[in-house]
Amino acid sequence: MEYARNVLGIADAEHEESSPRSPTLVISKLTCSLVGKTQKIAITPGSIAHRAYGGKEVMEQFFCNYGLNPAFRDQINKSELKVTGVDSEGEVRVVELSDHPFYVATLFLPQVASSPGTPHPLIVSYLEAAVGFQTQRRN
Amino acid sequence: MARTIRVGIIGDYNPDFRFHTATNEALGHAAKALSVDVDFRWIATQSLDSKSARKTLERFDALWGSPGSPYRSMNGALQGIRFARERGWPFIGT
Repeated sequence: MEYARNVLGIADAEHEESSPRSPTLVISKLTCSLVGKTQKIAITPGSIAHRAYGGKEVMEQFFCNYGLNPAFRDQINKSELKVTGVDSEGEVRVVELSDHPFYVATLFLPQVASSPGTPHPLIVSYLEAAVGFQTQRRN
Repeated sequence: MARTIRVGIIGDYNPDFRFHTATNEALGHAAKALSVDVDFRWIATQSLDSKSARKTLERFDALWGSPGSPYRSMNGALQGIRFARERGWPFIGT
């Protein structure tokens, strides 16, 4: 929504959960709820997610009822916000900014799959980026 | 001494919401894997709907957009996410 409003110029972009009557629902209710589901996600080679996972296919757990409204997919595709993870139906599950050092958003919850022995690769990569960013800011 | 990485989690923390506590725990797991310390703070969305938001956000080395919509202040949450995007702060939204 932030990207839709401030970059794509869709000033009235809304989320169906908070503004169900809005005519411009960039985030809309999924036709099929993902709460409690695990899906196989295909990750785009060369993406931040791909580097983090070190692979093209991952299983992730979902707990959400809302997602990117497919009507806005084309507009997103033409922007710097790239779709880098899709499910078996081609639905958007991961997006990243291509003109940013580390900006990743997922529809699944990687934190739920993390444990002391197996930290989640995406969160490790994120924290690694934070370490690098801190170093860069100090110098 | 290990380095301390400061992470700001944009969201309205609820200790009874397991996705919030899981976020805290997952940061701890990742920090251990990288041999760093993590100092995370939750940033209430209403506090970001103000002119001082930038100062608050600049203190962190990375920002996290937490689960748990709707936020108490959608505007505050969007301010935080916008800051990360425009200023190049490492960001994950889950």
